[in-house]
Amino acid sequence: MPYLGSEDVVKELKKALCNPHIQADRLRYRNVIQRVIRHMTQGLDMSGVFMEMVKASATVDIVQKKLVYLYMCTYAPLKPDLALLAINTLCKDCSDPNPMVRGLALRSMCSLRMPGVQEYIQQPILNGLRDKASYVRRVAVLGCAKMHNLHGDSEVDGALVNELYSLLRDQDPIVVVNCLRSLEEILKQEGGVVINKPIAHHLLNRMSKLDQWGQAEVVNFLLRYQPRSEEELFDILNLLDSFLKSSSPGVVMGATKLFLILAKKFPHVQTDVLVRVKGPLLAACSSESRELCFAALCHVRQILHSLPGHFSSHYKKFFCSYLEPHYIKLQKVEVLCELVNDENVQQVLEELRGYCTDVSADFSQAAIFAIGGIARTYTDKCVQILTELLGLRQEHITTVVVQTFRDLVWLCPQCTEAVCQALPGCEENIQDSEGKQALIWLLGVHGERIPSAPYVLEDFVDNVKSETFPAVKMELLTALLRLFLSRPAECQDMLGRLLYYCIEEEKDMAVRDRGLFYYRLLLVGIDEVKRILCSPKSDPSLGLLEDPAERPVNSWASDFNTLVPVYGRARWANISKCQGAKRHGPELPNTASFATSGSLIPEENKERIQELPDSGALMLVPNLQLTAEYFEKTWLSLKVAHQQVLSWQGAVHPDTLQMALQVVNIQTIAMSRAGARPWKAYLSAQDDTGCLFLTEVVLEPENLEMQISVKQNEAKTETLNSFISVLETVIGTIGDIKS
Amino acid sequence: MIHSLFLINCSGDIFLEKHWKSVVSQSVCDYFFEAQEKAADVENVPPVISTPHHYLISIYRDKLFFVSVIQTEVPPLFVIEFLHRVADTFQDYFGECSEAAIKDNVVIVYELLEEMLDNGFPLATESNILKELIKPPTILRSVVNSITGSSNVGDTLPTGQLSNIPWRRAGVKYTNNEAYFDVIEEIDAIIDKSGSTVFAEIQGVIDACIKLSGMPDLSLSFMNPRLLDDVSFHPCIRFKRWESERVLSFIPPDGNFRLISYRVSSQNLVAIPVYVKHNISFKENSSCGRFDITIGPKQNMGKTIEGITVTVHMPKVVLNMNLTPTQGSYTFDPVTKVLTWDVGKITPQKLPSLKGLVNLQSGAPKPEENPSLNIQFKIQQLAISGLKVNRLDMYGEKYKPFKGVKYVTKAGKFQVRT
Repeated sequence: MPYLGSEDVVKELKKALCNPHIQADRLRYRNVIQRVIRHMTQGLDMSGVFMEMVKASATVDIVQKKLVYLYMCTYAPLKPDLALLAINTLCKDCSDPNPMVRGLALRSMCSLRMPGVQEYIQQPILNGLRDKASYVRRVAVLGCAKMHNLHGDSEVDGALVNELYSLLRDQDPIVVVNCLRSLEEILKQEGGVVINKPIAHHLLNRMSKLDQWGQAEVVNFLLRYQPRSEEELFDILNLLDSFLKSSSPGVVMGATKLFLILAKKFPHVQTDVLVRVKGPLLAACSSESRELCFAALCHVRQILHSLPGHFSSHYKKFFCSYLEPHYIKLQKVEVLCELVNDENVQQVLEELRGYCTDVSADFSQAAIFAIGGIARTYTDKCVQILTELLGLRQEHITTVVVQTFRDLVWLCPQCTEAVCQALPGCEENIQDSEGKQALIWLLGVHGERIPSAPYVLEDFVDNVKSETFPAVKMELLTALLRLFLSRPAECQDMLGRLLYYCIEEEKDMAVRDRGLFYYRLLLVGIDEVKRILCSPKSDPSLGLLEDPAERPVNSWASDFNTLVPVYGRARWANISKCQGAKRHGPELPNTASFATSGSLIPEENKERIQELPDSGALMLVPNLQLTAEYFEKTWLSLKVAHQQVLSWQGAVHPDTLQMALQVVNIQTIAMSRAGARPWKAYLSAQDDTGCLFLTEVVLEPENLEMQISVKQNEAKTETLNSFISVLETVIGTIGDIKS
Repeated sequence: MIHSLFLINCSGDIFLEKHWKSVVSQSVCDYFFEAQEKAADVENVPPVISTPHHYLISIYRDKLFFVSVIQTEVPPLFVIEFLHRVADTFQDYFGECSEAAIKDNVVIVYELLEEMLDNGFPLATESNILKELIKPPTILRSVVNSITGSSNVGDTLPTGQLSNIPWRRAGVKYTNNEAYFDVIEEIDAIIDKSGSTVFAEIQGVIDACIKLSGMPDLSLSFMNPRLLDDVSFHPCIRFKRWESERVLSFIPPDGNFRLISYRVSSQNLVAIPVYVKHNISFKENSSCGRFDITIGPKQNMGKTIEGITVTVHMPKVVLNMNLTPTQGSYTFDPVTKVLTWDVGKITPQKLPSLKGLVNLQSGAPKPEENPSLNIQFKIQQLAISGLKVNRLDMYGEKYKPFKGVKYVTKAGKFQVRT
């Protein structure tokens, strides 16, 4: 970095370096050189004294040599012609009797990074490979890779590669690891170093002699080896066993990955390994190094995707402590959200409830969203907590709670009533765009159940001129139109005012267009508006239900212990693409499939899905209200139209099942408690033609089967069949999640 | 693997850079600064940051950021561990890992980095091997060096690198043969309002300092090895022997090293040595509040608890605090809102307490949550888990070594919610 005043310094140092008195005094000479290095590290351009520094390299003082070499490596690319002068000294040092000097000279020579140096370094490297000191061999082996890079990655020197392969048998463990590293770089174009059976077994046997870095890298290289037989596979796994208990988390993770990949055909072995590394992984999660904690937590989340209950008994390990940095707290909250089960849900929710009032707004919002996530399974408890939070009247809390409510009502319609009761009053504590949108959406869609809905919206309409967010205005338009359909008397006047404002005064084009669109729609007639705006919801929720379900271990095993769990594949794919021109990295699949895992579909998409009519013949009516008495009467009066037995494993979670059925518009009339045997449930549904479906579900946990009997008030086989298939899908999905 | 390393201080100056492959421009750190700005607090900068062409993996240690530039897919834990090893080495060499120490010893820092990493791959990282390659600076040596002009670089090759056992050099010789073990346990705990334990766990380590001649083969046994839940071992330990007999059998490295680390997490085994009585309250619509805490011994196995410090991050609306300690001294920093009370040790006859008034910003709403107390303490001669070393035997050498075991219990992340 050029820097004012550096010229004077250079001049002064140059003078000092040339001064014969200073040169004669070893100590003073070295001090001047140290000053040069110091300035260099501070970013001053010291290339001006290159010539003098080259002269200083001819010395017996090894510290001075080191310093000068360091200098040369930095500036050689800038002064290639002068650097050639230094090569002579370096070559001489390569045959010095002291192995330290030989190694040092060779390493510096290989690091010069200037064109034309290759021809000088080839011979010293070849000599270095056969040096009797392992220190020099280590340097020489890596030197091969550096030399190859200088050649511009073009041709691969076959003899050199063979030599390196044979050095894999070297007695020094670091030479062995360096050979692997070096070969990997040289053979990048051909897919890296080849690990065949003899090499794999040789490496496995040497593993215990390596340092932790070596071990971590060798397990990575061993991923390429595919054992021939099952017997060999288990032999390898036995050899690797002790590395799962290594004191270095890096080695533990590397060994775990190798286990997972090798045992990809033996799911029970994979599960077993994950159980065995639970301890080390949890230890890393509470490590002194916060960065290690973070990386470990990311991996814990990944494991949880496949084994949801894996860390449940250790849930307290993931409670946040006050002093932890945010990124760790956020990860821990995510983990907590993923490992709730019937036993710990109470404690986890209490803990999360505590975080909601944290000083940091980001963290408290993350905790609220986490409660929202848990609410998909344990709706009642969570809605109660969220409602209590509204009582705090804190702006940043209220807005997130309302957003959570919006998502929740859409996913778990059974909580609509509770949410509607909680909403009045929170409009006073919402200022930001996201929160306002969520509130307005809720008021629009469920306005008929909230007495004050039109008055709240009226406030928004009155202040629309000072509203800064166009998205809020759009939401307001849609919501008011929806509410107008259910409560026309209270809304007509302000809808008129809002439309007038949007069409005549609004400057944002999107809002204007939306206003015009609704205006024209209203002109067509109220029935048409109803048909378009309030057509039955489709059920995207089933897809969402499936989403957090188990992913097989093999789907992420190859990403384990890479940056993917920390940052997601999408990011790395981008980087590889940028480097694609010069690097031949493995082509990663495109990013499209990675869109949004677990999160909700954004608002715009939701709108679109609702407006799409349902495909398929069967259309079940939402919000069918059937009393238990009416159900019983009808049930007794009808004959069984269809009976079927589905396989089922494990216990039933009534909440989950009820919620799942609700999203496909099948209502639950009655249900036994969890754990009751036999377990029974009565369900009802009605399609758009008015045909009723009444269902009895009986589960005998001992025989692992679920018996379903369906009765129908009109005999229609076609709709019956589609109803059964819907029911089967739901039960199948739930069953898969549980088992 | 590791392309470049930047050292950055808290105020955002890059004060040292080292490149192992090609030179990466300093401007890559702009992405780091951006993240730092977004994180508001330096503590909260995420350890992995992606940029269009690189990943930046960083650690934060002793108010310094070690930022490494990565260009290929790497195991993140590996890099993080390595960066910590670099920081540990600086600490070991200079006594502290601070900007001043690194700047003072910039030449040694470069020498170290050069030996620790070649072409981006970790090479020599064991402290005893490094110290033979590059001698650490000492006050005495720097004086001697300046008089005689001798160097701080070993002239001979480290012998350890040629021994069959990578962690031990051959031909070690001592006049006094000694083997010391420190059993150090840290209690991580969260105590809730009412004083019951939300979460508690012991993280223990056994650090060894071995100065024995020749090739001693040691075995260390415990009175109660089943206590240890999760153990991770130094590579020198024979794992099979531990699996079958619960005995630590090993040929030790020379000098200081960490023999094992372990966890004891079964809740009922974790004794909580101190309790805190607290009464912190803020009045509605008034600009003051009350603060009153008392510390007492709980399950301390009859040992003295010493070195107690209580740190409290008070809410933002707190302007000042007016307190009286019965023991020790306290400070309150009105900028960071951190209250620190240096208590000293507990005498059970008169329990230390700190009470007084809290001044709040007038007009601001009262804080909705009480602050948590972070407590530090130390108990000598006690391993709180009850772990006890039974005996240490040495084979393979004839002399009689001097042996010693010390126990210490400390607070780790020990937090009391109020």
